[in-house]
Amino acid sequence: MFRMVLRVVGFLVFITFLVAPLRANAAALKIGVAGPLTGDQAAFGEMLKSGVLLAVSEWNNRGGVSVTGTKMKVKILWGDDRHDPREGVTIAHKFVNSGVVGVVGHFNSSVSIPASTVYAEAGVVQITPASTNPKLTEQGFSTVFRVCGRDDQQGEVAAAFIVDKLRKKRVAILHDKTTYGQGLADETKRFLGAKGIKPVFYSGIVQGDKDFTPVLTAMKQKKPEVVYFGGIHPEAILLVKQMRERLGIKADFMSGDGVFVDEYYKIAGKSAEGTYLSFSPDQSKIPEAKNIIQMHRKRFGKEVGAYTIYSYVAANMILASIAESGSNKGSKIAAHIRSKVWATALGKIQFNKKGDVLESPYVFWQVKGGKFVQLN
Amino acid sequence: MFTQQLVNGIVVGSVYALIALGYTLVYGILKLINFAHGEIYMIGAYIGITTLAVLGAMGITGMSITLTLVLVFLIPMIYCAAYGITLERIAYRPLRRAPRLSPLISAIGMSIFLQNYVQVAQGARDKAFPSLLALGGFNFMGAYISGLQIFILATAVGVMAVLQLFIQKTRMGKAMRATAQDRTMASLVGVDVNRVIAATFAIGSALAAIAGVMVGMYYGLVNHYIGFIAGIKAFTAAVLGGIGSVAGALLGGFLLAMLETFWAGYVSAIYKDVFAFAVLVVVLIFRPEGILGSSDSSDRV
Amino acid sequence: MLLAGFWFAFLALPISGPWNAVLIGGACSFMLLAIKLFQTAMTTGPAGEMVARLWCALGRMWGQAAWLVGDRKKILVMILLLLSLPWVLDRYTTDVLVVTGIYVMLALGLNVVVGFAGLLDLGYVAFYAVGAYTYALLNSWMDLSFWPALLAGGALSMAFGVLLGIPVLRLRGDYLAIVTLGFGEIIRLVLNNWDNLTNGPNGILSIDRPTIGGMRLYQPMHFFYLVVFLCFMTMFVVGRLNRSRLGRAWSALREDETAAECMGINITYTKLTAFAFGAAWAGIGGVVFAAKQTFVSPESFTFFESVIILCMVVLGGMGSIPGVILGALVLTVLPEALRELTLYRPMLLGGAMVLMMILRPQGFLQMHGQRLPASAVLPGDVRRGREKTHLGGDT
Repeated sequence: MFRMVLRVVGFLVFITFLVAPLRANAAALKIGVAGPLTGDQAAFGEMLKSGVLLAVSEWNNRGGVSVTGTKMKVKILWGDDRHDPREGVTIAHKFVNSGVVGVVGHFNSSVSIPASTVYAEAGVVQITPASTNPKLTEQGFSTVFRVCGRDDQQGEVAAAFIVDKLRKKRVAILHDKTTYGQGLADETKRFLGAKGIKPVFYSGIVQGDKDFTPVLTAMKQKKPEVVYFGGIHPEAILLVKQMRERLGIKADFMSGDGVFVDEYYKIAGKSAEGTYLSFSPDQSKIPEAKNIIQMHRKRFGKEVGAYTIYSYVAANMILASIAESGSNKGSKIAAHIRSKVWATALGKIQFNKKGDVLESPYVFWQVKGGKFVQLN
Repeated sequence: MFTQQLVNGIVVGSVYALIALGYTLVYGILKLINFAHGEIYMIGAYIGITTLAVLGAMGITGMSITLTLVLVFLIPMIYCAAYGITLERIAYRPLRRAPRLSPLISAIGMSIFLQNYVQVAQGARDKAFPSLLALGGFNFMGAYISGLQIFILATAVGVMAVLQLFIQKTRMGKAMRATAQDRTMASLVGVDVNRVIAATFAIGSALAAIAGVMVGMYYGLVNHYIGFIAGIKAFTAAVLGGIGSVAGALLGGFLLAMLETFWAGYVSAIYKDVFAFAVLVVVLIFRPEGILGSSDSSDRV
Repeated sequence: MLLAGFWFAFLALPISGPWNAVLIGGACSFMLLAIKLFQTAMTTGPAGEMVARLWCALGRMWGQAAWLVGDRKKILVMILLLLSLPWVLDRYTTDVLVVTGIYVMLALGLNVVVGFAGLLDLGYVAFYAVGAYTYALLNSWMDLSFWPALLAGGALSMAFGVLLGIPVLRLRGDYLAIVTLGFGEIIRLVLNNWDNLTNGPNGILSIDRPTIGGMRLYQPMHFFYLVVFLCFMTMFVVGRLNRSRLGRAWSALREDETAAECMGINITYTKLTAFAFGAAWAGIGGVVFAAKQTFVSPESFTFFESVIILCMVVLGGMGSIPGVILGALVLTVLPEALRELTLYRPMLLGGAMVLMMILRPQGFLQMHGQRLPASAVLPGDVRRGREKTHLGGDT
């Protein structure tokens, strides 16, 4: 039997050596891009893709990125993590083993954080366009950056909005138990507590579940005036629909950047009217952004999404750092990123030691008349 | 809150019951757990969306809401029946004499295949089910009941009544009952067993299609994964009520939905699914014949 | 044949849209026609010849592989070649082989339950999860290092295996399968929801790497050797078990439970040991997995994982150790090689499952001395003949 086993192994080794040459590696500068490219959050993945593609094509059209003297074309390695931390880690290992010089990703905090340990161990630079959980940059890795804000900032702004702007006292808090969702909900809870407000209802829901009427019914008992949800658009859509249409709950619905996608009001329809969402200020007002918006329209035939420009900036930053520092070593790239003030399509960006952006404001938007409108 | 939770459970119960009927009918005749049945339900929902899109393009939705309603149920039913018959023909019939493991693996394989097929064809994102009926709601005994819920309940009950009549009164129904009791004897008295089995699958699938469309209307969202979870829950319901028994599927469906809803509402929203699986495990271990099933488990071996 | 094509096009219409439906219908007709022609033209005609040549080439490679292990010396050479792989291949491929090795261990473990003892376990992944989380949690709380964790993980998984085995002693066939499925899902859901213990869907990070005498194992190459060592050990233990009295009891259990009981075999003990051993290996595999990924989350342990491992056993050859290893190798390496087709992977797997059950239910490599019961499916005329005698029925 042992012999048989070796026979099997030998047979497969044959086949492997037949197949192996089919995957030759051309000399190119590889960057890894990871996010939920398919699956229920593919809306985010699409923005990630288009943003990065725009940035990379710009560089490749200029002949590539010069590393230690030679100009090399940039090749993108895609990683579809389907917002699953396990997939993210697998992809991280794949990227590291394939020799990428930097990674744009991941998207969800619950994926970026575990993946970051892999990248950090290998010294690969990681810039995330959208992971907002504070823990990511609190781990002490010198090669991790984010171009978005943090959830403690979001929570603070949300609490202030509820108390000072809306002047409501009875707040129910729901979350989807992910690093991002629960993290955001807990930050909001913390800042509300600092203002003397304790939530009247606090519960988690399961991501992927469809029927939330039982937990919403329990919540209705407590008569909340505002429902704050820490989570992403698929669940937000179901929650707001079931709240309004099944149970007739009139409380305000509020959430964060994870729900800031067109699909939210497209699918939730009337029930989404009046929803409050925290996000960065209108990107179209920044001059550098206008260029990207134009390019995006021309190439993809539609408008940029909420995260397209973030992804563009992240990719651009990695490539520009390599070009400007002439090095493709992670530590040098990271040092370079931290060394200057970047003029980007998101405004002026400068990083602190942890990898956070020094200034990243959050403002509130509302769904009015079937689209997102920034509140002053 | 009690009444509201009760109401919440109604639609879920109807859905489980309808899908459970498919499981129970097939198991009664073939002693086979049709793993892919949940996917048929999911396909029904998707076909409902396509039907609505076509009807909308043809302008029928604007014209007559009744016609739209009828078609949005009828067309998925026909299609799912077709899927069910094809499924049986390809994946189960060649294995009718094989040891238990083979058809089970084949069933799981078909389930995975169909799930992925729909994902590839329709995208992995949630798909919106356009809302048809803008029925309002009203308050009753402390609960908010929407017209849609009543509609769904009425449809489900009506369908099941028709099914019961069919099984009891028609020739095909008699043939189905006979085949379920003893396949060889039934064929010896002239029953076309293959036809009966195909009909069973067709009916079960059509019922699942109704459930799929209802879910689409109720939640407004479908995705390719809903079949798996709903399938397991419906199977739990069928087992709970007594597999092989139509009344059992009904009872099991509503009972499981109520248990689940109350658990989620009063105890813990996030352990809802664990509770359902726990019910499955407990029932199968301690009373595999279910509530309405007979203790005569000579055919369990 | 054309009719079948039309039928499939009809079925595909609402899901794939009109153009794709026509494509699908056309492809189906084409394939069915090809198979029909194939059957007649297999021995003649240019296409048949090409296929025959391909088949011969594969056969020759198979034979070649046998020659390569013909005697002791050659075996040594093969083993040396195997051990030298990490130096020859790039990091990425080595990593793939490490993952394959873990699956080989898992598949061998499941083979004990399904292949040897004939107990259909659809929730095997639960034991895998228990092993992985044991290491993760003990490492977080007590800084437990890798090697004792191997024992701890294996032992705890074994305990869970027995725990699962006790209530299902009376169940057979489908019901056993479903209960194990339920059990597997319960474990995953509890891991996903018991935040205080397991950190829920976010998983557990920063799990320590194994160390040998001060050297930290973190590269794919290191893990390769670790995994190869563990695989050989697993093969050895499982092989010996199979040939022991316990193994024969498992065979008896698989063939006919009632008869085995009548022969005086203690069914309870036999079943429980099968579950226990199978689970233990999954536990060990889980610990290695946790150490390799430095991260565990409930999403690694879904029902689909169980299905894949089951496929490795069933499609590779139930009860046959080399067959199971082949299954594990194919089902891990092939998806990596066909990375462009990731979108269609489950579909291909599902289709393969159905086809294998219809065409070759015993898997690729048959187990020694395994005879299928008379009621098993046999290809070709015998089956069709029996169907024809069915009163009033037709194919």
